[in-house]
Amino acid sequence: MGVTILVPYPLDNKKTGPEVVEELSKRLLAMQATQTGHFLVDGDVFESSFNKTKIHVMHNSEYPASVFSILDNGQKQIPLITDLIFDLLMLKVNPIYASRKQLKIESKGPRFELGDFLVKLGSVTMSQSQTFKGLLIEVDYRPCLIPIICWELIREFLQGFLGQYSPTTIPVYFTNSVPNPHHPVPYQKSNDTYQPIDTVQQYLEHFNNYRKQTIALMMGPNK
Amino acid sequence: MDVQINAALNGIKNLRASVSNIFETAITAEGTFLLEESIACVTQNFKETETCINNLNAPSVPFTLGNTSYLNYETDLEKQNMYNELVNGYKWYEKTHQYSAIASTLLQHNSLKRSYFSSSNKRRRLLTGAHTVPPKHVDHLISTFNVNNMQLKIYRPFATNAFLHINLSRVLKAAIILRGLMIEWVTVKGFNESLDNVDDHWSESRYEVFRRVQKAAHSAMLHFYSPTFAELAIRSFITWFGSYSTLFSEPCKMCGKHLLNALPPTHRDVRSLDPTHEECRK
Repeated sequence: MGVTILVPYPLDNKKTGPEVVEELSKRLLAMQATQTGHFLVDGDVFESSFNKTKIHVMHNSEYPASVFSILDNGQKQIPLITDLIFDLLMLKVNPIYASRKQLKIESKGPRFELGDFLVKLGSVTMSQSQTFKGLLIEVDYRPCLIPIICWELIREFLQGFLGQYSPTTIPVYFTNSVPNPHHPVPYQKSNDTYQPIDTVQQYLEHFNNYRKQTIALMMGPNK
Repeated sequence: MDVQINAALNGIKNLRASVSNIFETAITAEGTFLLEESIACVTQNFKETETCINNLNAPSVPFTLGNTSYLNYETDLEKQNMYNELVNGYKWYEKTHQYSAIASTLLQHNSLKRSYFSSSNKRRRLLTGAHTVPPKHVDHLISTFNVNNMQLKIYRPFATNAFLHINLSRVLKAAIILRGLMIEWVTVKGFNESLDNVDDHWSESRYEVFRRVQKAAHSAMLHFYSPTFAELAIRSFITWFGSYSTLFSEPCKMCGKHLLNALPPTHRDVRSLDPTHEECRK
Protein backbone atom coordinates (compact mmCIF):
# COMPACT_ATOMS: atom_id res chain seq x y z
CA MET A 1 0.00 0.00 0.00
CA GLY A 2 1.20 3.45 -0.87
CA VAL A 3 -0.12 6.79 -1.96
CA THR A 4 -3.23 6.33 -4.08
CA ILE A 5 -4.68 8.98 -6.34
CA LEU A 6 -8.19 8.60 -7.67
CA VAL A 7 -9.00 10.39 -10.91
CA PRO A 8 -12.39 10.50 -12.64
CA TYR A 9 -11.93 10.00 -16.38
CA PRO A 10 -14.21 12.26 -18.42
CA LEU A 11 -16.25 10.49 -21.08
CA ASP A 12 -17.18 12.24 -24.25
CA ASN A 13 -20.18 10.93 -26.09
CA LYS A 14 -18.09 9.36 -28.85
CA LYS A 15 -17.03 6.34 -26.84
CA THR A 16 -18.79 4.09 -24.36
CA GLY A 17 -17.33 3.08 -21.01
CA PRO A 18 -16.16 -0.43 -21.99
CA GLU A 19 -14.51 1.00 -25.11
CA VAL A 20 -12.50 3.48 -23.09
CA VAL A 21 -11.51 0.79 -20.57
CA GLU A 22 -10.29 -1.36 -23.43
CA GLU A 23 -8.34 1.50 -24.96
CA LEU A 24 -6.67 2.34 -21.64
CA SER A 25 -5.92 -1.34 -20.99
CA LYS A 26 -4.20 -1.57 -24.35
CA ARG A 27 -2.21 1.55 -23.55
CA LEU A 28 -1.09 0.06 -20.22
CA LEU A 29 -0.12 -3.25 -21.81
CA ALA A 30 1.92 -1.33 -24.38
CA MET A 31 3.72 0.33 -21.46
CA GLN A 32 4.82 -3.19 -20.36
CA ALA A 33 2.27 -3.44 -17.55
CA THR A 34 0.95 -6.84 -16.53
CA GLN A 35 -2.68 -7.48 -15.73
CA THR A 36 -3.11 -9.00 -12.29
CA GLY A 37 -6.76 -9.87 -11.98
CA HIS A 38 -9.67 -7.60 -11.19
CA PHE A 39 -10.71 -5.37 -8.34
CA LEU A 40 -13.93 -4.18 -6.76
CA VAL A 41 -14.78 -1.31 -4.47
CA ASP A 42 -18.39 -1.03 -3.36
CA GLY A 43 -20.34 1.33 -1.15
CA ASP A 44 -23.68 0.92 0.62
CA VAL A 45 -25.65 3.63 2.37
CA PHE A 46 -27.60 3.06 5.56
CA GLU A 47 -29.76 5.92 6.72
CA SER A 48 -31.14 6.46 10.18
CA SER A 49 -34.89 6.85 10.30
CA PHE A 50 -34.66 9.46 13.10
CA ASN A 51 -32.07 12.07 12.37
CA LYS A 52 -30.97 11.39 8.77
CA THR A 53 -27.53 10.29 9.90
CA LYS A 54 -25.89 8.15 7.26
CA ILE A 55 -23.49 5.26 7.54
CA HIS A 56 -21.48 4.48 4.43
CA VAL A 57 -20.34 0.87 4.50
CA MET A 58 -17.61 0.19 1.96
CA HIS A 59 -15.46 -2.76 0.88
CA ASN A 60 -12.21 -2.72 -1.03
CA SER A 61 -10.93 -5.91 -2.65
CA GLU A 62 -7.38 -4.77 -1.88
CA TYR A 63 -8.23 -5.28 1.84
CA PRO A 64 -10.53 -8.28 1.66
CA ALA A 65 -10.77 -8.87 5.42
CA SER A 66 -11.90 -5.38 6.34
CA VAL A 67 -15.05 -3.32 6.23
CA PHE A 68 -14.67 0.43 6.09
CA SER A 69 -17.56 2.40 7.49
CA ILE A 70 -17.94 6.14 7.64
CA LEU A 71 -20.51 7.77 9.87
CA ASP A 72 -21.74 10.97 8.29
CA ASN A 73 -24.02 13.36 10.17
CA GLY A 74 -23.81 16.10 7.60
CA GLN A 75 -21.07 18.10 9.30
CA LYS A 76 -18.51 15.54 10.29
CA GLN A 77 -17.29 12.20 8.99
CA ILE A 78 -16.10 9.55 11.41
CA PRO A 79 -14.26 6.60 9.85
CA LEU A 80 -14.16 3.14 11.37
CA ILE A 81 -12.28 0.05 10.15
CA THR A 82 -13.64 -3.31 11.28
CA ASP A 83 -13.64 -7.01 10.47
CA LEU A 84 -16.05 -8.48 7.93
CA ILE A 85 -18.56 -9.40 10.62
CA PHE A 86 -19.57 -5.74 10.74
CA ASP A 87 -21.79 -6.45 7.71
CA LEU A 88 -23.91 -8.81 9.81
CA LEU A 89 -24.20 -6.23 12.54
CA MET A 90 -25.60 -3.75 10.03
CA LEU A 91 -28.30 -6.30 9.16
CA LYS A 92 -29.23 -6.54 12.84
CA VAL A 93 -29.75 -2.81 13.19
CA ASN A 94 -31.84 -2.77 10.04
CA PRO A 95 -34.97 -1.26 11.64
CA ILE A 96 -33.03 1.80 12.77
CA TYR A 97 -30.52 2.11 9.98
CA ALA A 98 -32.31 1.15 6.79
CA SER A 99 -30.32 0.21 3.71
CA ARG A 100 -30.87 2.44 0.68
CA LYS A 101 -30.57 -0.20 -2.02
CA GLN A 102 -30.92 2.19 -4.93
CA LEU A 103 -27.89 4.17 -3.73
CA LYS A 104 -25.58 1.14 -3.74
CA ILE A 105 -22.67 1.94 -5.99
CA GLU A 106 -19.60 0.02 -7.06
CA SER A 107 -16.48 0.47 -9.12
CA LYS A 108 -14.89 -2.58 -10.71
CA GLY A 109 -12.55 -3.47 -13.51
CA PRO A 110 -9.09 -4.73 -14.38
CA ARG A 111 -6.05 -4.23 -12.15
CA PHE A 112 -2.57 -3.68 -13.62
CA GLU A 113 0.92 -3.67 -12.21
CA LEU A 114 3.67 -1.60 -13.79
CA GLY A 115 6.90 -1.67 -11.83
CA ASP A 116 5.98 -0.31 -8.42
CA PHE A 117 2.79 1.27 -9.74
CA LEU A 118 -0.65 -0.25 -9.40
CA VAL A 119 -3.30 0.96 -11.83
CA LYS A 120 -6.99 0.13 -11.60
CA LEU A 121 -9.53 1.04 -14.23
CA GLY A 122 -12.90 1.08 -12.52
CA SER A 123 -16.26 1.34 -14.25
CA VAL A 124 -18.76 2.81 -11.82
CA THR A 125 -22.23 1.27 -11.79
CA MET A 126 -25.11 2.19 -9.53
CA SER A 127 -28.07 0.40 -7.89
CA GLN A 128 -29.26 -3.07 -8.82
CA SER A 129 -29.99 -2.04 -12.39
CA GLN A 130 -26.20 -1.59 -12.86
CA THR A 131 -26.51 1.73 -14.65
CA PHE A 132 -23.14 2.89 -15.90
CA LYS A 133 -22.09 6.19 -14.31
CA GLY A 134 -18.51 6.84 -15.30
CA LEU A 135 -14.89 5.82 -15.00
CA LEU A 136 -12.65 6.14 -11.95
CA ILE A 137 -8.94 5.55 -12.41
CA GLU A 138 -6.89 4.63 -9.39
CA VAL A 139 -3.11 4.94 -9.42
CA ASP A 140 -1.20 3.58 -6.45
CA TYR A 141 2.52 4.24 -6.01
CA ARG A 142 3.34 1.58 -3.47
CA PRO A 143 6.84 2.46 -2.18
CA CYS A 144 5.92 5.96 -0.98
CA LEU A 145 3.63 6.83 1.93
CA ILE A 146 3.62 10.63 1.99
CA PRO A 147 1.41 12.18 -0.71
CA ILE A 148 3.21 15.52 -0.91
CA ILE A 149 6.59 13.84 -1.53
CA CYS A 150 5.57 11.78 -4.52
CA TRP A 151 2.71 13.82 -6.01
CA GLU A 152 4.91 15.23 -8.79
CA LEU A 153 6.05 11.73 -9.66
CA ILE A 154 2.51 10.37 -9.78
CA ARG A 155 1.39 13.40 -11.80
CA GLU A 156 4.07 12.62 -14.37
CA PHE A 157 2.92 9.02 -14.51
CA LEU A 158 -0.71 10.09 -14.98
CA GLN A 159 0.33 12.52 -17.67
CA GLY A 160 2.11 9.79 -19.57
CA PHE A 161 -0.87 7.52 -19.35
CA LEU A 162 -3.96 9.75 -19.50
CA GLY A 163 -2.55 12.57 -21.62
CA GLN A 164 -4.76 15.64 -21.69
CA TYR A 165 -7.21 14.22 -19.15
CA SER A 166 -4.62 13.98 -16.39
CA PRO A 167 -5.06 16.26 -13.35
CA THR A 168 -2.61 19.13 -12.85
CA THR A 169 -3.09 19.63 -9.13
CA ILE A 170 -3.24 17.22 -6.23
CA PRO A 171 -6.87 16.20 -5.43
CA VAL A 172 -8.67 18.53 -3.02
CA TYR A 173 -9.02 15.67 -0.57
CA PHE A 174 -5.33 16.02 0.31
CA THR A 175 -5.16 19.80 0.53
CA ASN A 176 -8.15 20.46 2.81
CA SER A 177 -6.49 21.90 5.86
CA VAL A 178 -7.82 21.28 9.34
CA PRO A 179 -6.71 23.52 12.24
CA ASN A 180 -4.36 21.62 14.48
CA PRO A 181 -4.73 22.35 18.23
CA HIS A 182 -1.27 20.98 19.03
CA HIS A 183 0.66 22.68 16.30
CA PRO A 184 0.64 26.14 14.70
CA VAL A 185 0.67 24.68 11.16
CA PRO A 186 -2.77 23.39 10.13
CA TYR A 187 -3.05 19.69 9.50
CA GLN A 188 -3.09 18.56 5.90
CA LYS A 189 -3.63 15.05 4.63
CA SER A 190 -0.94 15.55 1.99
CA ASN A 191 1.76 15.74 4.64
CA ASP A 192 0.64 12.75 6.68
CA THR A 193 1.28 9.03 6.34
CA TYR A 194 -1.15 7.51 3.88
CA GLN A 195 -3.70 5.03 5.29
CA PRO A 196 -6.02 2.54 3.56
CA ILE A 197 -9.00 4.58 4.80
CA ASP A 198 -7.76 7.50 2.67
CA THR A 199 -8.36 5.46 -0.47
CA VAL A 200 -11.85 4.57 0.71
CA GLN A 201 -12.65 8.18 1.59
CA GLN A 202 -11.57 9.32 -1.87
CA TYR A 203 -13.89 6.72 -3.36
CA LEU A 204 -16.69 7.90 -1.10
CA GLU A 205 -16.28 11.48 -2.30
CA HIS A 206 -16.58 10.43 -5.93
CA PHE A 207 -19.42 8.01 -5.20
CA ASN A 208 -21.35 10.80 -3.47
CA ASN A 209 -20.85 13.02 -6.51
CA TYR A 210 -22.32 10.33 -8.77
CA ARG A 211 -25.22 9.88 -6.33
CA LYS A 212 -25.93 13.61 -6.32
CA GLN A 213 -25.92 13.70 -10.13
CA THR A 214 -28.37 10.80 -10.28
CA ILE A 215 -30.71 12.32 -7.71
CA ALA A 216 -30.59 15.64 -9.57
CA LEU A 217 -31.50 13.83 -12.80
CA MET A 218 -34.39 12.02 -11.13
CA MET A 219 -35.68 15.24 -9.55
CA GLY A 220 -35.23 17.20 -12.76
CA PRO A 221 -38.38 16.30 -14.69
CA ASN A 222 -40.63 16.81 -11.61
CA LYS A 223 -39.62 20.42 -11.16
CA MET B 1 53.41 -13.80 -45.52
CA ASP B 2 49.98 -13.62 -43.89
CA VAL B 3 49.12 -10.54 -45.90
CA GLN B 4 49.99 -12.25 -49.15
CA ILE B 5 47.94 -15.32 -48.33
CA ASN B 6 44.99 -13.14 -47.41
CA ALA B 7 45.30 -11.19 -50.65
CA ALA B 8 45.41 -14.42 -52.65
CA LEU B 9 42.36 -15.80 -50.86
CA ASN B 10 40.48 -12.57 -51.50
CA GLY B 11 41.43 -12.73 -55.16
CA ILE B 12 40.02 -16.24 -55.42
CA LYS B 13 36.84 -15.14 -53.69
CA ASN B 14 36.39 -12.27 -56.18
CA LEU B 15 37.07 -14.58 -59.09
CA ARG B 16 34.42 -17.02 -57.92
CA ALA B 17 31.90 -14.23 -57.39
CA SER B 18 32.44 -12.85 -60.89
CA VAL B 19 32.16 -16.31 -62.47
CA SER B 20 28.84 -16.99 -60.80
CA ASN B 21 27.81 -13.51 -61.90
CA ILE B 22 28.37 -14.58 -65.54
CA PHE B 23 25.98 -17.49 -65.21
CA GLU B 24 23.36 -15.30 -63.58
CA THR B 25 23.55 -12.74 -66.39
CA ALA B 26 23.48 -15.50 -68.98
CA ILE B 27 20.17 -16.74 -67.58
CA THR B 28 18.41 -13.42 -67.11
CA ALA B 29 19.95 -10.87 -69.48
CA GLU B 30 18.86 -10.69 -73.08
CA GLY B 31 21.61 -8.64 -74.71
CA THR B 32 25.21 -9.76 -75.07
CA PHE B 33 26.56 -6.45 -73.83
CA LEU B 34 26.17 -7.29 -70.16
CA LEU B 35 27.67 -10.72 -70.70
CA GLU B 36 30.75 -9.23 -72.34
CA GLU B 37 31.18 -6.89 -69.43
CA SER B 38 31.05 -9.76 -66.94
CA ILE B 39 33.56 -11.78 -68.91
CA ALA B 40 35.92 -8.79 -68.92
CA CYS B 41 35.49 -8.64 -65.17
CA VAL B 42 36.39 -12.33 -64.82
CA THR B 43 39.54 -11.90 -66.92
CA GLN B 44 40.58 -8.97 -64.77
CA ASN B 45 40.00 -10.93 -61.54
CA PHE B 46 41.82 -13.93 -62.95
CA LYS B 47 44.89 -11.82 -63.70
CA GLU B 48 44.85 -10.37 -60.20
CA THR B 49 44.60 -13.80 -58.61
CA GLU B 50 47.44 -15.03 -60.75
CA THR B 51 49.77 -12.23 -59.71
CA CYS B 52 48.83 -12.82 -56.05
CA ILE B 53 49.65 -16.51 -56.37
CA ASN B 54 52.94 -15.76 -58.10
CA ASN B 55 53.90 -13.55 -55.19
CA LEU B 56 53.50 -16.44 -52.76
CA ASN B 57 56.59 -18.38 -51.79
CA ALA B 58 56.44 -22.00 -50.86
CA PRO B 59 57.17 -22.45 -47.15
CA SER B 60 60.75 -23.53 -46.66
CA VAL B 61 60.06 -25.80 -43.69
CA PRO B 62 56.95 -27.99 -43.40
CA PHE B 63 54.34 -26.81 -40.89
CA THR B 64 54.70 -28.50 -37.56
CA LEU B 65 51.28 -29.50 -36.50
CA GLY B 66 52.42 -31.24 -33.35
CA ASN B 67 50.30 -34.11 -32.21
CA THR B 68 47.46 -33.02 -34.45
CA SER B 69 49.29 -34.48 -37.42
CA TYR B 70 48.45 -37.93 -36.08
CA LEU B 71 44.84 -37.12 -36.83
CA ASN B 72 45.74 -37.75 -40.48
CA TYR B 73 46.07 -41.44 -39.69
CA GLU B 74 42.56 -41.54 -38.30
CA THR B 75 40.40 -43.82 -40.40
CA ASP B 76 37.11 -43.55 -38.54
CA LEU B 77 34.89 -41.13 -40.50
CA GLU B 78 33.17 -39.77 -37.40
CA LYS B 79 36.46 -38.85 -35.83
CA GLN B 80 37.77 -37.00 -38.84
CA ASN B 81 35.76 -33.96 -37.82
CA MET B 82 37.89 -33.67 -34.74
CA TYR B 83 40.36 -31.41 -36.47
CA ASN B 84 37.79 -28.64 -36.93
CA GLU B 85 36.76 -28.88 -33.33
CA LEU B 86 40.36 -28.75 -32.30
CA VAL B 87 40.92 -25.56 -34.26
CA ASN B 88 37.83 -23.97 -32.71
CA GLY B 89 39.00 -24.99 -29.27
CA TYR B 90 42.37 -23.44 -29.96
CA LYS B 91 40.81 -20.16 -31.11
CA TRP B 92 38.63 -20.02 -28.01
CA TYR B 93 41.63 -20.61 -25.79
CA GLU B 94 43.57 -17.83 -27.52
CA LYS B 95 40.68 -15.42 -26.90
CA THR B 96 40.42 -16.34 -23.23
CA HIS B 97 44.10 -15.72 -22.88
CA GLN B 98 43.80 -12.31 -24.52
CA TYR B 99 40.80 -11.26 -22.43
CA SER B 100 42.34 -12.39 -19.17
CA ALA B 101 45.45 -10.38 -19.93
CA ILE B 102 43.32 -7.26 -20.46
CA ALA B 103 41.28 -7.97 -17.34
CA SER B 104 44.35 -8.39 -15.21
CA THR B 105 45.79 -5.02 -16.29
CA LEU B 106 42.42 -3.39 -15.56
CA LEU B 107 42.21 -4.96 -12.13
CA GLN B 108 45.70 -3.82 -11.26
CA HIS B 109 44.62 -0.23 -11.86
CA ASN B 110 41.60 -0.62 -9.63
CA SER B 111 42.02 -0.06 -5.91
CA LEU B 112 39.03 -2.04 -4.64
CA LYS B 113 41.15 -3.92 -2.17
CA ARG B 114 39.43 -4.82 1.06
CA SER B 115 42.52 -5.98 2.97
CA TYR B 116 46.23 -5.46 3.32
CA PHE B 117 46.99 -8.87 2.02
CA SER B 118 49.74 -9.07 -0.52
CA SER B 119 51.53 -12.23 -1.46
CA SER B 120 54.99 -10.70 -1.68
CA ASN B 121 55.00 -9.41 1.87
CA LYS B 122 55.74 -12.65 3.68
CA ARG B 123 56.80 -11.36 7.06
CA ARG B 124 54.27 -8.57 7.51
CA ARG B 125 53.49 -7.10 10.86
CA LEU B 126 50.00 -7.20 12.31
CA LEU B 127 48.19 -4.04 11.37
CA THR B 128 45.21 -2.70 13.22
CA GLY B 129 42.57 -2.71 10.52
CA ALA B 130 39.26 -0.91 10.27
CA HIS B 131 37.53 -4.08 11.38
CA THR B 132 39.12 -4.22 14.84
CA VAL B 133 37.84 -0.99 16.33
CA PRO B 134 36.45 -1.06 19.90
CA PRO B 135 32.64 -0.68 20.09
CA LYS B 136 32.93 2.47 22.18
CA HIS B 137 34.82 4.20 19.43
CA VAL B 138 32.21 3.14 16.86
CA ASP B 139 29.39 4.45 19.06
CA HIS B 140 31.16 7.72 19.57
CA LEU B 141 31.87 8.20 15.89
CA ILE B 142 28.30 7.43 14.86
CA SER B 143 26.92 9.83 17.46
CA THR B 144 28.86 12.63 15.75
CA PHE B 145 27.10 12.08 12.42
CA ASN B 146 24.58 14.76 11.72
CA VAL B 147 22.78 14.51 8.40
CA ASN B 148 19.50 16.28 7.67
CA ASN B 149 16.35 14.18 7.98
CA MET B 150 18.31 11.15 9.11
CA GLN B 151 17.77 9.20 12.31
CA LEU B 152 20.48 6.76 13.33
CA LYS B 153 20.21 3.93 15.81
CA ILE B 154 22.71 1.27 16.81
CA TYR B 155 21.80 -2.34 17.52
CA ARG B 156 24.17 -5.09 18.49
CA PRO B 157 22.36 -8.38 17.98
CA PHE B 158 25.64 -10.23 17.44
CA ALA B 159 27.93 -9.19 20.28
CA THR B 160 30.37 -6.48 19.26
CA ASN B 161 29.55 -5.73 15.64
CA ALA B 162 27.03 -2.97 15.17
CA PHE B 163 23.92 -2.81 13.00
CA LEU B 164 23.26 0.78 12.12
CA HIS B 165 19.60 1.45 11.43
CA ILE B 166 18.78 4.54 9.40
CA ASN B 167 15.38 6.16 9.02
CA LEU B 168 15.57 8.61 6.19
CA SER B 169 12.88 11.29 6.22
CA ARG B 170 9.80 9.01 5.91
CA VAL B 171 11.17 7.82 2.57
CA LEU B 172 13.12 4.70 3.34
CA LYS B 173 14.73 2.57 6.00
CA ALA B 174 18.18 1.12 5.77
CA ALA B 175 20.44 -1.08 7.82
CA ILE B 176 24.20 -0.89 7.60
CA ILE B 177 26.01 -3.89 8.98
CA LEU B 178 29.39 -2.89 10.29
CA ARG B 179 32.44 -4.87 11.17
CA GLY B 180 34.38 -2.50 13.32
CA LEU B 181 34.15 0.58 11.12
CA MET B 182 34.08 -1.35 7.88
CA ILE B 183 30.75 -1.50 6.06
CA GLU B 184 30.01 -5.11 5.27
CA TRP B 185 26.45 -5.01 4.00
CA VAL B 186 23.70 -2.51 3.29
CA THR B 187 20.00 -3.34 3.20
CA VAL B 188 17.49 -0.81 1.90
CA LYS B 189 13.77 -1.18 2.56
CA GLY B 190 10.60 0.82 2.19
CA PHE B 191 9.31 3.00 4.99
CA ASN B 192 6.47 0.54 5.60
CA GLU B 193 8.61 -2.58 5.48
CA SER B 194 9.96 -4.29 8.55
CA LEU B 195 13.61 -4.37 9.61
CA ASP B 196 13.03 -5.54 13.18
CA ASN B 197 13.93 -9.15 12.69
CA VAL B 198 17.56 -10.09 12.02
CA ASP B 199 16.46 -12.15 9.01
CA ASP B 200 14.97 -9.05 7.41
CA HIS B 201 18.50 -7.79 6.81
CA TRP B 202 19.13 -10.45 4.22
CA SER B 203 15.86 -10.32 2.32
CA GLU B 204 15.35 -7.88 -0.51
CA SER B 205 12.77 -5.13 -0.52
CA ARG B 206 9.35 -5.81 -1.98
CA TYR B 207 9.68 -2.74 -4.21
CA GLU B 208 11.84 -2.44 -7.31
CA VAL B 209 12.91 1.10 -6.45
CA PHE B 210 14.52 0.11 -3.13
CA ARG B 211 16.22 -2.88 -4.70
CA ARG B 212 17.84 -0.45 -7.14
CA VAL B 213 18.85 1.87 -4.31
CA GLN B 214 20.39 -1.09 -2.50
CA LYS B 215 22.46 -1.96 -5.56
CA ALA B 216 23.65 1.63 -5.83
CA ALA B 217 24.48 1.61 -2.11
CA HIS B 218 26.58 -1.52 -2.53
CA SER B 219 28.65 0.00 -5.28
CA ALA B 220 29.01 3.23 -3.28
CA MET B 221 30.13 1.22 -0.27
CA LEU B 222 32.97 -0.21 -2.35
CA HIS B 223 33.70 3.15 -3.89
CA PHE B 224 34.14 4.94 -0.55
CA TYR B 225 36.00 2.11 1.10
CA SER B 226 39.55 2.76 2.15
CA PRO B 227 41.51 0.52 4.50
CA THR B 228 43.47 3.37 6.05
CA PHE B 229 40.80 6.08 6.44
CA ALA B 230 37.91 4.02 7.73
CA GLU B 231 36.25 6.94 9.53
CA LEU B 232 36.30 9.09 6.44
CA ALA B 233 34.91 6.20 4.40
CA ILE B 234 31.87 5.67 6.62
CA ARG B 235 31.30 9.39 7.00
CA SER B 236 31.27 9.95 3.24
CA PHE B 237 29.01 6.96 2.76
CA ILE B 238 26.48 8.29 5.27
CA THR B 239 26.55 11.75 3.68
CA TRP B 240 26.07 10.22 0.26
CA PHE B 241 23.22 8.06 1.54
CA GLY B 242 21.52 11.12 3.05
CA SER B 243 20.94 12.43 -0.48
CA TYR B 244 18.26 9.75 -0.92
CA SER B 245 15.86 11.77 1.23
CA THR B 246 14.67 13.31 -2.05
CA LEU B 247 14.32 9.95 -3.79
CA PHE B 248 10.71 10.55 -4.85
CA SER B 249 10.62 14.33 -5.00
CA GLU B 250 13.63 15.36 -7.06
CA PRO B 251 13.70 14.83 -10.84
CA CYS B 252 16.69 13.46 -12.77
CA LYS B 253 19.45 16.01 -13.40
CA MET B 254 20.07 14.66 -16.89
CA CYS B 255 16.63 14.25 -18.44
CA GLY B 256 14.65 16.48 -16.08
CA LYS B 257 11.96 13.84 -15.62
CA HIS B 258 10.83 11.97 -12.54
CA LEU B 259 10.14 8.64 -14.16
CA LEU B 260 12.05 6.41 -16.52
CA ASN B 261 10.78 2.84 -16.93
CA ALA B 262 8.38 3.54 -14.05
CA LEU B 263 11.29 4.24 -11.69
CA PRO B 264 12.39 7.51 -10.08
CA PRO B 265 16.08 8.54 -10.29
CA THR B 266 17.67 5.84 -8.12
CA HIS B 267 21.27 6.79 -8.72
CA ARG B 268 23.15 9.51 -6.83
CA ASP B 269 26.46 10.82 -8.04
CA VAL B 270 29.20 10.02 -5.51
CA ARG B 271 30.70 13.50 -5.68
CA SER B 272 27.98 15.98 -6.55
CA LEU B 273 25.10 13.89 -5.06
CA ASP B 274 23.05 14.73 -8.15
CA PRO B 275 20.09 12.43 -8.72
CA THR B 276 20.03 10.64 -12.07
CA HIS B 277 18.33 7.62 -13.53
CA GLU B 278 20.56 4.61 -13.85
CA GLU B 279 20.12 4.73 -17.62
CA CYS B 280 20.77 8.50 -17.85
CA ARG B 281 24.11 8.69 -16.09
CA LYS B 282 27.23 8.83 -18.19
